Amino acid sequence: MGMFDRLAFFLGLKKREASVLVIGLDNSGKSTMLNHFKTEDQKTTDIVPTVGFNVEKFKTKNVGFTAFDMSGQGRYRSLWEHYYHDCQGVIFVVDSSDKLRLVVAKDELDMLLQHAEIRHRRIPILFFANKMDMRDAVSSVKVSAALGLERISDKPWHITASNAITGEGLHEGVEWLTNQIKENFGNNMNR
Amino acid sequence: MIGSFKQAKKDEEDGCGNPYHSVDKTSVLQEARVFNETPVNVKRSTHVLTKILYLLNQGETLATKEATDAFFAMTKLFQSNDLVLRRLVYLGIKELCNVAEDTIIVTSSLTKDMTGREDQYRAPAIRALCRITDATMMQAIERYMKQAIVDRAPGVSSAALVSCRHIMKDSPDVVKRWVSEVQEALSSDCVMVQFHALGVLHQIRKSDKLAVTKMVSKLTSSGPRSPYAICLLIRIVARLIEEDEAGADCRLFDFLESMLRHKAEMVIYEAANAIVTLRKSSARDLAPAISVLQLFLSSPKPTLRFAAVRTLSKVAMTQPNAVTACNLDLENLIQDVNRSIATLAITTLLKTGSEGSVDRLMKSISSFLNDISDEFKIVVVEALRALALKYPRKQAVLMGQLADMLRSEGGLPYKEAIASTIITIIEDNPEAKEKGLDHLCEFIEDCEHTTLAVRILHLLGREGPRTRQPARYIRFVYNRVILENAAVRAAAVSVLAKFGAQCETLLSNVLVLLQRCMMDTEDEVRDRATYYHAVLATRDSALIHRYILNPPQFALPSLERALVQYLRADTSAPFETRAVPTAPPPQEEKKAQNIMEVAPRQEERVVPTHEKYAEQLSAIPQFANLGPLFKSSAPVELTESETEYMVRCIKHTFRDYIVLQFDCTNTLNDQLLEAVNVVVEGEDWDVLLYIPCPSLPYSQPGSCYALLRIPEDIMATTGTFSATLKFKVRDCDPATGEPDTEDGYEDDYTLEDIEISVADHVQRAARNNFAAGWDELGATNELEDTFALSAMSSLEEAVTQVTQFLGMHPCDRSDRIPEGKSAHTLYLAGTYRGGHEVLVRAKLALSDGVTMQLTVRSDDPGVSEVIASAVG
Ligand SMILES: Nc1nc2c(ncn2[C@@H]2O[C@H](COP(=O)(O)OP(=O)(O)OP(=O)(O)O)[C@@H](O)[C@H]2O)c(=O)[nH]1
Ligand SMILES: [Mg+2]
Repeated sequence: MGMFDRLAFFLGLKKREASVLVIGLDNSGKSTMLNHFKTEDQKTTDIVPTVGFNVEKFKTKNVGFTAFDMSGQGRYRSLWEHYYHDCQGVIFVVDSSDKLRLVVAKDELDMLLQHAEIRHRRIPILFFANKMDMRDAVSSVKVSAALGLERISDKPWHITASNAITGEGLHEGVEWLTNQIKENFGNNMNR
Repeated sequence: MIGSFKQAKKDEEDGCGNPYHSVDKTSVLQEARVFNETPVNVKRSTHVLTKILYLLNQGETLATKEATDAFFAMTKLFQSNDLVLRRLVYLGIKELCNVAEDTIIVTSSLTKDMTGREDQYRAPAIRALCRITDATMMQAIERYMKQAIVDRAPGVSSAALVSCRHIMKDSPDVVKRWVSEVQEALSSDCVMVQFHALGVLHQIRKSDKLAVTKMVSKLTSSGPRSPYAICLLIRIVARLIEEDEAGADCRLFDFLESMLRHKAEMVIYEAANAIVTLRKSSARDLAPAISVLQLFLSSPKPTLRFAAVRTLSKVAMTQPNAVTACNLDLENLIQDVNRSIATLAITTLLKTGSEGSVDRLMKSISSFLNDISDEFKIVVVEALRALALKYPRKQAVLMGQLADMLRSEGGLPYKEAIASTIITIIEDNPEAKEKGLDHLCEFIEDCEHTTLAVRILHLLGREGPRTRQPARYIRFVYNRVILENAAVRAAAVSVLAKFGAQCETLLSNVLVLLQRCMMDTEDEVRDRATYYHAVLATRDSALIHRYILNPPQFALPSLERALVQYLRADTSAPFETRAVPTAPPPQEEKKAQNIMEVAPRQEERVVPTHEKYAEQLSAIPQFANLGPLFKSSAPVELTESETEYMVRCIKHTFRDYIVLQFDCTNTLNDQLLEAVNVVVEGEDWDVLLYIPCPSLPYSQPGSCYALLRIPEDIMATTGTFSATLKFKVRDCDPATGEPDTEDGYEDDYTLEDIEISVADHVQRAARNNFAAGWDELGATNELEDTFALSAMSSLEEAVTQVTQFLGMHPCDRSDRIPEGKSAHTLYLAGTYRGGHEVLVRAKLALSDGVTMQLTVRSDDPGVSEVIASAVG
């Protein structure tokens, strides 16, 4: 345990563990984003398309995240659902420069929202309108509209523009997610 | 009391200290839910995963859904970095990947582990990865594999190399691209890596003999350091020498001999073993190898003594004289504390020693026969069999010994070995027959092995009626009907019928016994008894002959197919059994040995059975109405090996047609062939239609067909055909196989001629009793002629040639020629196309070549004529 952890422990702020599912179409930047959160010595320099999934760990404040970085290629998308059951949050990454495939992303999102494991849960969903640095990237507002986010009323959600390479926007998004998950922990405790 | 003792013993075997003793599949799969917990419950997950692995290793099988669920739950354990748990996950992946679906889900996780920093993960991750990666996904992991092969950590490199051998099975071309990495690994410092690298390198080059020769000559001069690699190299060299028709390259042999002076014992032994196993080794070549083995015989290490004596006992089988030099050392080993070594020493001595020493050696064997395992008892039995054939005068002693062994403890394979040795002796020596049958009769009075009892009964049915006093066997046979299980009872009923059919005097008694069997509790036994009783009661010799002594031997699947077809069509005419192909009698299999394996493995390309062919052909609409398939020939190569295109031909004979099937392979990776056809031409024959193969990509075999009508005139049904491969070529990219956009060009390629011979119209058939069949067929259509087979130098050769040429089956073991005889009679049986029975008697005499008097009998004059004129 590091110094801060120890302190937090004594103060009763026991560290919590949360597992999140990172999904989105292929090439949207999921693995790149998770790579950004890793400590300097664990970062990889070359990121290749994921086949299946990878488990990555990172920490913010006092939540330790275990992220399932899923592959976004068409034939693996049907396998996401195996990991819905035990996740406490979803990160949905969209390539905001890939306007053509925004509808595909919407389709996948719809399937997620209607899935039996997700439909009735108040699970927080964080959207990254990624690759904001690209010249032809559309704004997060446009992405939000294209995905039809306003109809999600039974789950907390949040969208933020990001650049997974420089890290811009990532912390803001994850901070929101951390708070949501902590809140859920609190609710569960009270129940 | 006994019951509880048994129970206790059982518990002791399965339970007692085994914590997984009472594990049950359903509940373990329930428990596997713990894998889904976040954070991972390492302790419980480890325990449950171990249970799953335990179950799978006990032979438990999972349904696809169960396996997939367990697999996906298990993938969540990748969250944990616990070392033990992760390695269990790798094992789980390997166990489940053949049943579970979508196992590629772990690809990225495994590639991460194999390239990561934790050395403990890297090797097992590679092994797991290559199991879940199929040919289509290979490219995704190629880069990692190449790196891993040359990795500095020996474990990682070895794991990658061993995985290559698995990948070779499905994607040989991919592994070929890694050859330079493998080469590099061959010069690794680690002995194990060198060994594995050589294994892969050889596998890559295996099909290209020139490349193997080059590799070998390079390695034999520079030489790897690893003794393991040298052992493998020795095996490769030995195989090269064996395959080299032109006479051994003496440099290769010199290499083997030089390895006899290596410092590692393992290498010395391997070289000695290679030299003595070479078929080409002369007695002089053997000598240095034998003396090395002789030294090992007095080594203090039991493993060396064992290896040496085991090899020597094999040599003694074929070249006993070469081993006599070791007799003294072998005598010393009879007292060896290791019973396996002692057994092998004695059995070797039995082969090398003189007739006089047999009795003494037999005594020392019986003194410890009870202390050795069945496996070695079988070795002893095999030695006795060889001995009996070598010294007929000793057969009485040996038979006595065998009978004692038959009565003692032992498992089925052991008992079977003894019984078949006795049977061999009976067959070899008519004088030993009755004694041998007596021993076997006594044995089946108390035999717990159903298969063996049935086999012996069958032998009794064949040999018993022809002895001097057939009556004495009836009691033993009928005892089986009273005392044994249904399978044995049924066999016994058939044997009774055989006695009744051949022994006039016993017939009325047999009928009474069969009548009693008709009350049996088992359907099969009652049915047989009723059937045989009905046939025998007619006392009609033709009927008895046809339905008891030489019953029709239909190929059952073909019979079923024919009946189904009959029921679909017009059933007013009676069912024609003649059209149903008979099942050819089984043939002995030859075994090929793989260099890397101790146990023999099956030949790689399995020739499909009659049934498989029938199914494949009837699926082709054009061939659906040709009637039942009568016979399929063995594949004949129409091209030399290693040419641009490889074509082999299989001839399928129907009653009125012959289908030629051409299996083609395109070995040029820059060509795509289209509209591939083999055009055939021959006198008197009409080609009714061709079915070309639409497309023949590189290295994927495809088939095209030609349908021929068999000429009416039976004498014109053999012939030679010229054959040409015609096709359209389209050039293509060797890497992707994508053809150019341009249209291709026509081309052709001349193939070897195709022969349709008599054998293509004849199916082999078994006759239990040739003489009876011969008389039954009568002299109506008999033809006889005498031939001088001047090209043949021995009776054996003549027998093989005539049998093969006519495509018939040797009966009454007449293909075996007693040693030293100068005249012999061969009996052959077959069925001619259309269901005609044909029998051939060939009297052979050795006289400046071989003279043959050939007599043919058949139920059709035309058939007799074709067969008789075939030889001329
Ligand atoms: N310009 C720009 N490029 C990005 C950004 N994020 C990711 N990329 C690039 O996009 C490519 C794909 O990124 P990955 O992280 O592999 O995408 P993924 O979502 O994990 O893809 P799959 O694993 O196939 O599902 C990489 O070449 C990244 O360098 C971004 O914010 N800006
Ligand atoms: Mg990825």
